[in-house]
Amino acid sequence: MPNVNVSLKDMQKLIGRKLSLAEFSEAVLYAKGEVDAVSGDEITVDVKDTNRPDLWSAEGIARELRARLGIEKGIPKYRVKKGRLSCTIEKSVEKTRPFIACALVKNVKVTEDFLIQMIQLQEKVGMTFGRRRKETGIGLYDFGKMKGPVFYRGCRDNEIEFVPLEYKVKMRPSEILKEHPKGKEFGHLLEGCERFPIVIDSKGIVASMPPIINSQETGKVTEKTREIFLEVTGFNWETVNTALNVMVMALADRGGQIESVKINFPKTKTYPKKPVHTPHFENKKIEVGLDEIREVSGLDLSSREIAKLLEKARYKATVKGRKVVAEYPAYRMDILHPVDVIEDVIISYGFEKVKPEPIKIAVMGQERPEAKKAELIRNVCVGLGLQGILTYTMSNKGKQAAMIGLDLEKEQFVELANPVSENYTVFRKQLFPELLEFLAANKHFAYPQKIYEVGKTVELDSKSETGVNEKNKVCIALCGKGAEFTVIKGVLDAIADNLGGKYSLKQCPMPALEQGKSASLSMDGKAGFFGEIEKSVLENFGLKQPTAILELEI
Amino acid sequence: MDLKQTASSLSAIEIKALKALNREEFISMKEISGKAGMQMDSARRAVQWLKEKGMIELSEERQEELALTQTGKSSLGKRLPERLFVEALQALGGKASLEQVQKKSQLNRPELNAAMGIAKRNAWISVRPGKGLELELTGLEKQLEEGKYPLENVLEEIAKKVEITGEDKNALQEAMKRGLVEKVLETEQKARLNKEGKEALKLVGAVKERAYNVEGAVPKIFIGKRQPYVQFLEQLRKKLVNLGFKEMKERLIVQEFYNFDVLFQPQNHPARAWTDTYQLKQPRFGKLPLRKAVAAVKAAHENGAGTGSKGWRYSWDEKIASRLMPNAHGTTADARQMAEGIEIPGKYFVINRCYRPDVIDAKHLVEFNQFDGFIVGKGINFRHLLSILEKIAVEVGGAEEVKFFPDYYPFTEPSVQLSAKHPKLGWIELAGGGVFRPEVVKPLGIDVGAIAWGMGIDRLAMLKLGVKDIRYLFAKDLNWLRNSKMVVE
Repeated sequence: MPNVNVSLKDMQKLIGRKLSLAEFSEAVLYAKGEVDAVSGDEITVDVKDTNRPDLWSAEGIARELRARLGIEKGIPKYRVKKGRLSCTIEKSVEKTRPFIACALVKNVKVTEDFLIQMIQLQEKVGMTFGRRRKETGIGLYDFGKMKGPVFYRGCRDNEIEFVPLEYKVKMRPSEILKEHPKGKEFGHLLEGCERFPIVIDSKGIVASMPPIINSQETGKVTEKTREIFLEVTGFNWETVNTALNVMVMALADRGGQIESVKINFPKTKTYPKKPVHTPHFENKKIEVGLDEIREVSGLDLSSREIAKLLEKARYKATVKGRKVVAEYPAYRMDILHPVDVIEDVIISYGFEKVKPEPIKIAVMGQERPEAKKAELIRNVCVGLGLQGILTYTMSNKGKQAAMIGLDLEKEQFVELANPVSENYTVFRKQLFPELLEFLAANKHFAYPQKIYEVGKTVELDSKSETGVNEKNKVCIALCGKGAEFTVIKGVLDAIADNLGGKYSLKQCPMPALEQGKSASLSMDGKAGFFGEIEKSVLENFGLKQPTAILELEI
Repeated sequence: MDLKQTASSLSAIEIKALKALNREEFISMKEISGKAGMQMDSARRAVQWLKEKGMIELSEERQEELALTQTGKSSLGKRLPERLFVEALQALGGKASLEQVQKKSQLNRPELNAAMGIAKRNAWISVRPGKGLELELTGLEKQLEEGKYPLENVLEEIAKKVEITGEDKNALQEAMKRGLVEKVLETEQKARLNKEGKEALKLVGAVKERAYNVEGAVPKIFIGKRQPYVQFLEQLRKKLVNLGFKEMKERLIVQEFYNFDVLFQPQNHPARAWTDTYQLKQPRFGKLPLRKAVAAVKAAHENGAGTGSKGWRYSWDEKIASRLMPNAHGTTADARQMAEGIEIPGKYFVINRCYRPDVIDAKHLVEFNQFDGFIVGKGINFRHLLSILEKIAVEVGGAEEVKFFPDYYPFTEPSVQLSAKHPKLGWIELAGGGVFRPEVVKPLGIDVGAIAWGMGIDRLAMLKLGVKDIRYLFAKDLNWLRNSKMVVE
């Protein structure tokens, strides 16, 4: 789902090999990426895996491809130098946004590609993995302008003010939430909290108010920046560390040197007892049985082959009897079950090498009764010389109520909460307005026009499990000279005669139908109605020819 | 037949039309019908026949024109909801709650929501949550002052057939997005006499006797037939039944439980967000009577339900799962069928209407059909999946060659994408599939291999029907339907 923009030139530098666009497009498929668009050197890759934030940058894609192309293998290694900087979490943030993980990256050479990728990765990780910044908010700072140690503190609205990014005046947290574009967009994440989370340095300079906005003073990485301070805040220690690692790896892939930051915790139950240095690149382990691999993949692979294939997928693998122990970097939070490892084995093996195996299951096919019935009805309609049409099941109240003489305010529909177009806001309750609209769109073609549709309508029904009643219906409309009550009743008889149904009739009080030239009917327990369309309704649709309709549940 | 004979066999309307035409200039059907004093369709028919007899030349001008839709026409000359909205807010002193604005403006709920969205987008108002929503004008709403709102101008210009230029182009986009304006193809046919026609014109005066021209056109007969796309779907259904698949029930409104939760999509996942699927204003919540399945799915999300998975490790909320929505993909039917109970071994399929919020154009519909299926049985694995996908691509998709690539779905692992080489389209993405994750099937008591796939069949249908615009699958054009060929397998 995430779309990642990369430059082919930059990509080649990161991979360390020349690749043509075609070669890149092919290789990236194995990182579940697909080239969506190309403009000059710019490539948009749709990375489909929504649980692999490590792949959502040029650096991340290159990291994966280096292994797939055989340039590297095994778990990617990152050296973290133990740093002297500390960040102290104060008790005052425990209730609003308890965790922060930090890192320092030195010797970075900030180029345009670098900036583009960092902003992109920060955005994608924050929005998708971070669930729109709720679970992880990420900040990058020019450490040259900061003075350690750093504090993560909860401040009351009247205790703090700072200049938010791209602004010129100092503002209080509440003002930022009200006025700054980012405050408006993400302000709900801090709604109702008494203390606002603030990252602040030892000189008292505010770095940011996570996860909303950085300060103008230190929260801006430019081409002059040499040392970058990173922090990720959120509610889950594991999640914030994953996001931090993903960011830090990308910076290190461009030559940055990682230094850890010591996180001091307050003494409450929420936090670990002892300080922790972040980032820490831990590995995790999962055991996968050889039989399980065979069961899912259908491939007959030896444990040694499997171990080799896993190294190509950036695992470290050791064989233990009938099992393979797969060691993987902790940021692979997508690995929930051995099947996730098995897929990586098959990808490394190569989908193109897997031989399809025919299925030998002998069972009988079966149609749904309603599908069979619909087909029968269509046969009758075709026999009656009618042209089949197909319309949308979504419609609007104008067509489904006002134009057929019903009260727009009183009629209740299954209604969309987020319509895109004013034409499609509710589900249709009746088919005939859709057929009338069809006729109205075809006034310039030869008459008579005789059409039918077999389709679904949707009505509210509080007793049903899904709150609605979906009905299968047929609707027939005759339009042109001679489209009268007697003719449409003849059509009803033809259906009843050929499908063996018996019906009973009543006067029909529907405003859309001419009084005295219409009736409601019941056939084998299914309801329907037919008759001539009332003049004002014809006018509403702009129809000039007499029109008769029949609508019947099937 | 020589010219004299042909001239002698002309019908009355042909002679009338011939007399209305000349050699020098092309004239339109409207003019012909006026000059000859006959109905438009008679004039058209006469011109068609004269053309077949080689007496006239035709010119056709085809152009895309902008036209107001039904909704557009009814909005014309009226005040658009967003104007009423802003005026109401102005009348309330520039600051009020949404409820007050609704009362004042008399807008109904969907209009109100749409109007607020537009006002927000144009930064006419700022919105703050309070008791309900607190709205405040920003000052930018001044651009609404009489005659200055581009959207209204655009509607009027289109009604008057004035060309849209400059700033109004953005407004035009907006109007199209909102379904107020659409593009329609208008064809104007014009005719003039050729040399033979001019000769014939001289002759018709002299001829009296009329003989039938056996090669002449006769009135057209339109037979009863199925809508071509419907016929395509019916044939597909038959084919699958013949391949041994059981058809599942199609549902338009579904619980999120089946659309997402059974399929192991975590509840806080961004793919469940507002922009990717339609949501319902009413009804909002459904029931989940399959209690065992609900408990199993809850466990799968929270702790992996003993399947060997870690699960998503969050607190799963049944209320969210019971929310109703228009069905967003075909796999929903698989989920429901598996939760209700299946035969093992078994083969199942569905052709299901699906809904996604999108802007309708030549490539996108907000309603479309997906064909989904699954197979369960002891020993069923990834290689069987490739085999069935290949079979479907060849038998249903008419593929000459197939390729498989890794793919991602929350409910399958491994997952695969099938690309097919089609004789006309070249390589296309045709279907996606995978082995159901243990977290999906095991909690539902399915302890054997289970593979599933889905494909959007609209593109295939377009190919079979020979149309380039996806809107033709729901064609509003009676002439096209009447003249369409029956779909052959």
